[in-house]
Amino acid sequence: MTADPASIREGDELPVLHLQPGLGQVIRYCALQWAFPPFFYDAEAAKANGMPGTLVPGPLKVGLLYRAVDEWLGDAGWICHVRAAHRRPDLTNHPIDIVGRVARVYEEAGARRADLELAIINEEGQPSVRGFAVIEFYRPG
Amino acid sequence: MPDASLLTDDVRALVGRATPLGTVRVTPKAYRRAIEVYTGEPPLAVPPPGAPIPGYLIAALDSESPTPAPAVPALLPNSILIANEWQFERPLRMGEELESHHTLVAVTERFGGRFGYSIDFRTEVAFTDPSGATVARSSNTMTQYSAAEARDGGEP
Repeated sequence: MTADPASIREGDELPVLHLQPGLGQVIRYCALQWAFPPFFYDAEAAKANGMPGTLVPGPLKVGLLYRAVDEWLGDAGWICHVRAAHRRPDLTNHPIDIVGRVARVYEEAGARRADLELAIINEEGQPSVRGFAVIEFYRPG
Repeated sequence: MPDASLLTDDVRALVGRATPLGTVRVTPKAYRRAIEVYTGEPPLAVPPPGAPIPGYLIAALDSESPTPAPAVPALLPNSILIANEWQFERPLRMGEELESHHTLVAVTERFGGRFGYSIDFRTEVAFTDPSGATVARSSNTMTQYSAAEARDGGEP
């Protein structure tokens, strides 16, 4: 999908991105970072740390917010900024929804930009992440 | 709660000090791996040198630095990640080389709340191009706390 810069309005909602991050994705993320805290992939280690199961790493979730925006934005622009504030853990192999809406559309330094409010919603309907992004639309032509 | 602030002059002196981590490069391998991690599928093709690429790559660059980032002081026994942030001044480009620098951007202490007395450490890795212009930043904020003093052990 590619967002249409001409028709984007404040209050527009991004399509919901349904995901279920699994252990394989978490292990690939650990390999990308070359960081392997056992509670991310070892259920027993997670339980020993007081967690109910293996967790989706927070830094992976900021990238999933980025993905939700990127898939909506397509070739219409680029993402300048994305932020994730972690509110509660997400367990691997549990569904999450990434939701978002256009909070503000404005001109800055000769470019058309938009602020987006984002969230990751867990299967109980609670926000596990509150997010924010800034996008810049490419100039026509 | 400690009798006095744990933010000593030695700790405060670390704020703003940039540590060079070395040169990193936006490679096709990093591109393929980052795309597969975040989208679940390997890319069908690799963009040509100089082409703009998605910001996912910053996660791969974080770990490509020749020098590991310095650890922040451990002032309290427990820690939890509370925020992550990626910022870009322009899209990353395939094949470009960037210098990376680690900085402890801010240290703040908080009294009360679910963590009780806690200290937030905001750190950042900045990537600069050969002209010295900042291209991107990746930052995170960790809260240090004492689970014994936190409400519900600090769990949400």
